[in-house]
Amino acid sequence: MIEKEDPVISEEEAAQYDRQIRLWGLDAQKRLRGSRVLLAGSGGLGAEVAKNLILAGVKGLTLLDHEQVSEESCRAQFLVPVTAQGQNRAQASLERAQNLNPMVEVHADSDRIEDKPDDFFLQFDAVCLTGCSRDLMVRVDQLCSQHNIKVFCGDVYGYYGYMFCNLGQEHSYVEEKPKLVKPSENSNDGPEPKKAKVDPNETVMVKKMASFCSLKEALEVDWTGEKAKACLKRTPVDYFLLHVMLKFRTDKGRDPGPLSFAEDSHLLKQIRDDVLGAMGVSSDLLSDCFVSHCFSEMSPVCAVVGGVLGQEIVKALSQRDTPHRNFFFFDGRKGNGVVDYFGSK
Amino acid sequence: MVQLVGSLRKELADSLSTCKVLVVGAGGIGCELLKNLVLTGFKNIEVIDLDTIDVSNLNRQFLFQKKHVGKSKAQVAKESALEFCPTANITAYHDSIMNPDYNVEFFRKFVLVMNALDNRAARNHVNRMCLAADIPLIESGTAGYLGQVTVIKKGMTECYECQPKPSQKTFPGCTIRNTPSEPIHCIVWSKYLFNQLFGEEDADQEVSPDTADPEAEWNPEETAARATASEKDGDIKRVSTKDWARSTGYDSIKLFNKLFKDDIMYLLTMDKLWKKRKAPIPLDWQQLENSSCPQEDSTGSGLKDQQVLGVWGQCQLFQHSVETLRSQLQEKGEGAQLVWDKDDAPAMDFVTAAANLRMYIFSMNMKSRFDVKSMAGNIIPAIATTNAVIAGLIVLEGLKILSGQMESCCTIFLNKCPNLRKKLLIPCVLDPPSANCYVCASKPEVTVKLNIHKTTVLSLQDRILKERFGMVAPDVQIEDGKGTILISSEEGETEANNSKFLSDFGIRNCSRLQADDFLQDYTLLVNVLHTEELERDVEFEVVGEAPDKAPPPQANPDEVNSITNGNKESAQPSTSSKAKEDDLMVVDSDDEGASSSSAAATGATKRKHSDAETAETSIKRLRKDQSATPTDDDDDEDDIIELD
Repeated sequence: MIEKEDPVISEEEAAQYDRQIRLWGLDAQKRLRGSRVLLAGSGGLGAEVAKNLILAGVKGLTLLDHEQVSEESCRAQFLVPVTAQGQNRAQASLERAQNLNPMVEVHADSDRIEDKPDDFFLQFDAVCLTGCSRDLMVRVDQLCSQHNIKVFCGDVYGYYGYMFCNLGQEHSYVEEKPKLVKPSENSNDGPEPKKAKVDPNETVMVKKMASFCSLKEALEVDWTGEKAKACLKRTPVDYFLLHVMLKFRTDKGRDPGPLSFAEDSHLLKQIRDDVLGAMGVSSDLLSDCFVSHCFSEMSPVCAVVGGVLGQEIVKALSQRDTPHRNFFFFDGRKGNGVVDYFGSK
Repeated sequence: MVQLVGSLRKELADSLSTCKVLVVGAGGIGCELLKNLVLTGFKNIEVIDLDTIDVSNLNRQFLFQKKHVGKSKAQVAKESALEFCPTANITAYHDSIMNPDYNVEFFRKFVLVMNALDNRAARNHVNRMCLAADIPLIESGTAGYLGQVTVIKKGMTECYECQPKPSQKTFPGCTIRNTPSEPIHCIVWSKYLFNQLFGEEDADQEVSPDTADPEAEWNPEETAARATASEKDGDIKRVSTKDWARSTGYDSIKLFNKLFKDDIMYLLTMDKLWKKRKAPIPLDWQQLENSSCPQEDSTGSGLKDQQVLGVWGQCQLFQHSVETLRSQLQEKGEGAQLVWDKDDAPAMDFVTAAANLRMYIFSMNMKSRFDVKSMAGNIIPAIATTNAVIAGLIVLEGLKILSGQMESCCTIFLNKCPNLRKKLLIPCVLDPPSANCYVCASKPEVTVKLNIHKTTVLSLQDRILKERFGMVAPDVQIEDGKGTILISSEEGETEANNSKFLSDFGIRNCSRLQADDFLQDYTLLVNVLHTEELERDVEFEVVGEAPDKAPPPQANPDEVNSITNGNKESAQPSTSSKAKEDDLMVVDSDDEGASSSSAAATGATKRKHSDAETAETSIKRLRKDQSATPTDDDDDEDDIIELD
């Protein structure tokens, strides 16, 4: 990421952001304040991520979406007014999004993301893709990682949702650790000698580094080797579910719809068999019951996945705290949220 | 054939549109929850919150904008949520859930109650109301990056009070008055000082040197004599701090020299205290003024609150804030009192200056106003994303309850980092009710150790029954065969008993008291164990638990639970109280320390007790947890059964 001048935090911002500055510090808030984010897809998950980033106080957020508002596509979308049927989703979301925080520059763009030239993406510090096809995500991921732009992808399918991130091969960040006090040394905070080795009143910032692989590598893991097979037991089944859902999107140009439940659920099972078969794993991994729980974007699931995804974008931009590597999967029926790494180490 | 409405089966979607639910709190979690509920298809929602909107809420309470500052949270949240679904039927109450209007009958209207609270007193109360009404309750809490959601159902699961919560950290009086060793001690002292000078005086908030400090023993005979003379409370008997300050016309320089010079010189005469400690260094106004440079150094970034003033800067801040507070007091008229509030600039300035001057005297590094405010105001950091995750999980648990799958409900923890089993969100099985819970057992009973000759009826009512056992308006009778009424919740009926001691009513060792709370439909049997051997500053002990005053061990395996469920423990005062607290019980649903705006909303006039002690525990626990490595996480989960 390009080092920017420290933007100044005003007294007004300090008052509004007080409770989060107390959590992640002024330096993190400053970095956030200098960051521009592209958010593709203004569905339910997109709205959650937009809300979280605008509240956190990024410099700018661009909502990119060419789709029109429909009941089904905006079921979990609280930025779109009920009167906006038929309008562009990004445009229709703009007013409410902007009202969340007037200090953030919010833009709406109704172009197709597929039509955007490479240059377009380079004006951002982070790009977050929701509702996009696998091919497009792989393309944007490759482009952005060449230019040190942080990449995030995410989707919600009914009770299920995921997040992926690629923060580049060398993502540096800081982490707050308790300060270690040498037993012989008297603490400055009191005249009494301290016995404890950790000073509860003081912390220090430790510099760290994390490395990420591309989305392509993360999705093209080879499951045929012995080692991979041994790992299979400990692999969240949600990873395979994601492959099925992405394949459905590629094949149909849409996600499963409640109005075509019978047809789509049949197709989902078929894709499950094909996809898992092609990956060399048993289709038993993913039992049939996923089918009736993966339709439409479910609001509480968007809230959970959008919360985790939004926080990961904040962490990446503010270069503060250990990022989740490199997938997060949520299963809303179990309340289970797993972080796991896929791809080359 | 399965029919879906969005992601939900049609039968479930239909039942959501007809059932009625209650949301308690419209703050950080409450705003997110209301959004999720209307978007999921809930149509009949009631929401209650007594708080008003503050600018520091706007980073996460997204149903509010700057133009709403000062307005009712419940009302504005309702209006904003209706925009997401204009056909929903939302009722807003700008009120405390502990108001007797919200009785068991009220709770029975709902199929489900969801707590989005930030204080233990209100959580305890809603827990009891839901047990009494036999309505399922979803409890939740967040603190920084951490959060938790759990489900409470009478007879099936633990209730909110089945597991004892760690009591808040308090400090021995002599540490505050004589030998502070950490900044928090100085901050607590300066909040006491504020009350002594401008607020309600409280004998438990003395700020002058404590001559009965057992550690001092600088002149045993004299100490003994003095202790007897002063009723063993160790205070130097002289005019009260407030009377003295008033007699000087709140002269800031005289105040300064008394507090930071004379009292410190007095402490120095207690030489035993300074054998192993660095002795404090008295300050002198005149000397500081003469040696001050006009351009004094201060460190920190450009923001005013982030700067650490030099010692003369603190002196000037002290002087300036004393003058402002003095005129505030004068404007209010004779006998008026000020209430300390972290968001009141002169009150916060005063505590910053007084605490820093004391830190300087005791050789500690001084702190910025920003840092002092965190500790003095017990501010728990709060972000939108954690609240969003937790509110999402609440609705998912709610859907299980409404589809008759209570047995698949669980308690879910949100961690900062994934644990060793790669989990960031950790679902765990719900425990069955604890057989000896003093709330949800069939015949709740506790044993309390106290001194029957020293415990007053008022202390039994306020400290033990209200604060410790969460009652709102207790009636107490003695099981002495005559059914003697000791305390009546009817105003005025037993007021004459208040200052009498328990022994005056024939209460002896092994006496039994029956305490009833009509509103909560709750009866507690209290066994009295008489003892003369309680530690100094300890009024009573609940048998089977750590002494009430002792801080919990840091390695409590229940830690995750306690943080997130009780992120603001400050609803209960920390030191003994002689004031009526019943109109002070505040339900504010902001995720932060008690704000006086909420106190004002109830018409309460005082919030006398320091909650700084809690700040210390929460911050420490938070820090420990936030920096926890996966190994630590594993320790935390020792007694938690992970699902899956």
